[in-house]
Amino acid sequence: MVNTSIDMSVDLGFIKLKNPVIPASGTFGYGEEFEPFFNLDTLGGFVLKGIYKEARNGNPPPRIHETASGLLNSIGLAGPGAVELQKIITRVASVTTTPIIVNVCGGSDEEYVEIAEIFDSMPEVAMLELNISCPNIHEGGRCVAQDDKHTFRLVKRIKDLTSKPLMVKLTPNAPNITSIACAAEEAGADCLSLVNTFLGMAVNLEKRAPVFKNIFAGLSGPAIKPLALKLVWEVSRSVHIPVIGMGGICSGRDVLEFMLVGASAVQTGTINMVEPCASVRIIGEIESLMNTLKITNLNEIKGALRV
Amino acid sequence: MNSKEEKCTVIENRQLQKNYFLMKLKADYIASQCRAGHFIMLAASRSYDPLLKRPFGILRAEPPYIWLYYETVGRGTELISSLKAGDEVDAIGPLGNAFPEFTGKRILMVAGGRGIVPLYFAIETLGPSNDVFLVHGVRTKEDFNLQDEIKRLPLKNTYLYSDDGSFEKKGFVTTDIRDIITSNRIEITFSCGPDAMFENLFHTISGMNTENYVSLEALMGCGIGICYSCVVKMVTGHYKKVCSDGPIFKMEDIAW
Repeated sequence: MVNTSIDMSVDLGFIKLKNPVIPASGTFGYGEEFEPFFNLDTLGGFVLKGIYKEARNGNPPPRIHETASGLLNSIGLAGPGAVELQKIITRVASVTTTPIIVNVCGGSDEEYVEIAEIFDSMPEVAMLELNISCPNIHEGGRCVAQDDKHTFRLVKRIKDLTSKPLMVKLTPNAPNITSIACAAEEAGADCLSLVNTFLGMAVNLEKRAPVFKNIFAGLSGPAIKPLALKLVWEVSRSVHIPVIGMGGICSGRDVLEFMLVGASAVQTGTINMVEPCASVRIIGEIESLMNTLKITNLNEIKGALRV
Repeated sequence: MNSKEEKCTVIENRQLQKNYFLMKLKADYIASQCRAGHFIMLAASRSYDPLLKRPFGILRAEPPYIWLYYETVGRGTELISSLKAGDEVDAIGPLGNAFPEFTGKRILMVAGGRGIVPLYFAIETLGPSNDVFLVHGVRTKEDFNLQDEIKRLPLKNTYLYSDDGSFEKKGFVTTDIRDIITSNRIEITFSCGPDAMFENLFHTISGMNTENYVSLEALMGCGIGICYSCVVKMVTGHYKKVCSDGPIFKMEDIAW
C-alpha cells in the first residue's frame, strides 16, 4: 500500500520541485515531443535542448554509435536558434506548470550573455542551465568548463545579468572538476549539474577510420553511472550549493543512489530516448522504494552515505 | 501522431530464406492506429545492452496484430530474431508520418530488397481505390521471400528483378522503369530501398512529371524526434529527421 505521507518534493533553496526527476538537456527535445506519452506536470522540471543564437544544422551523420550499455553521440548541438525557441517555450508553457529550464550555449562569452539575456526576459522560464561544455571559438575549441578562471568569469557575468536561478552544468572532461565546481560556486552559481558526457571514441576496423567526423564523441547511458556517481560524490563534498546529479540514471534506485552520495535532485538522460515514459516510471519507483526503505522525506537519504 | 509505449506479444517469428524473418506481433494499440508508412521501435533486450530500440517498418496490420518483415543485420536484430511465440517485447509506435492517401490514381510502387515493407502496406491500403503497380528488385532469389503474399495483393501488374538474374528478370528496379511509367500512365510513385537505389531512381525518373514519395531508412536513436541522429540532408542544405519529419519525404526535397 502506498504511504500517503511520503513527500517526494525537493527544496533547492531558490525553487521547490515536486520531485527530484528532471529530464536532461538534449534527451528531452523541447518537452512537447513527450506530450503524446505523458503529462509533463508529472516531472520535477525539464531542461530543453541546448540553444545557440542562430539555427544550427549540427554534424553530418553518423551522429550516434551504440556501445555496451552506452551511447556515443556527436550531434553538434543542432537547434532552431533563440528566436524560434522562444516561440516553442510559449507553446510548451501553455500546457504545463512544471519548471522549464533553458540550457544556454555559446561559442563565445558574448553569445552566452546574449542567450542568457533573451531567456532571462521570459517569465515562462524557471531557471537557466549554463552549458559551459560548448567548444569556444576563441579558445581553439576548448570549452569554458576546462578552465576554472574562465568558468568564474563567465558564471559571474551571467549571474550578474539574470534574475533567474542559475545552474551550471559541468563536464567530466576537465582536468579537475572540483576546482571548476568551486569556481562556479564562488562566482554565484545557484546550483551545479553534473556530469555531461564523457569524451570517448569509436573506430571502424574495416575502414581503418574513426566512426565520427570529429573523432571524439560524448558517452552517456548506464555505462557511465559509476563514473558519474564518483564525481557527484566528490563535488557534493566540495561545495555548499545543491548538486543535480546525472549519468546513466535508469531507475528509482539509481536516483536514490545519486542522492545518497550528495545530489539534491537528478537529471535523467539517455533513458528518455530508449523509453519515452522512463521519467514517469522512475518517479513511481522512487515512491515505492521510499516505502520499502521506510523514509518519508528525501532529505533523509540526501548525503547520508556512511563511509 | 499519438504514439505510445506498448508491451507486445510475439505470436510468430519465423525464419524465411537466409537471414530474413517474418514476425507477427499482438499490438492492440499500434495495430489500431497505424497507417501505411508508419514504423515502430522495438526493444532488442530486456536489459540495457543493447541499449537502444530498433526501428522496423510495418508490413501490414490487422488489429490486434501487426507483421514485420526484417533481415538480421547486427546484434540487435539477431537478438530480436531469437524471440519466440509468447515472448513479450517493448515497442513504441506507431511512429513517423505516413504515405499520403489517394483515390482514382495510377500509382507505381518501387521496392528494393526489404524496402518492400512499407510499400506492401501501401498497396493493401491504396490498391482497392487506385490502379497500383509494383516494381520489385532483389539481389538474388534468396532475398525474395514474400512471393505468395505479394501475389494476393491488389496489384494491376508486377515487375520483378534480381541483380544477378537468379530470379525473374536480370536487372535493377530502374532497368525498365521509364517504359513502365510511360506505358502505364503512372501519376505517382512510392519508393523504398537502399540509398544506391534511391540515387539511381532519382536520376532515372526525375523530369517524368510523376509525383514521387520516398520512405527512408536511417540509423536511429530514439524514433521520436529527440536525439537528432537520423538526419538526412535536404536540397535546402538543412537536415531533417527521418523519424519524425519522415520517414516519408518528397523525392525532390532530398539532396541525393
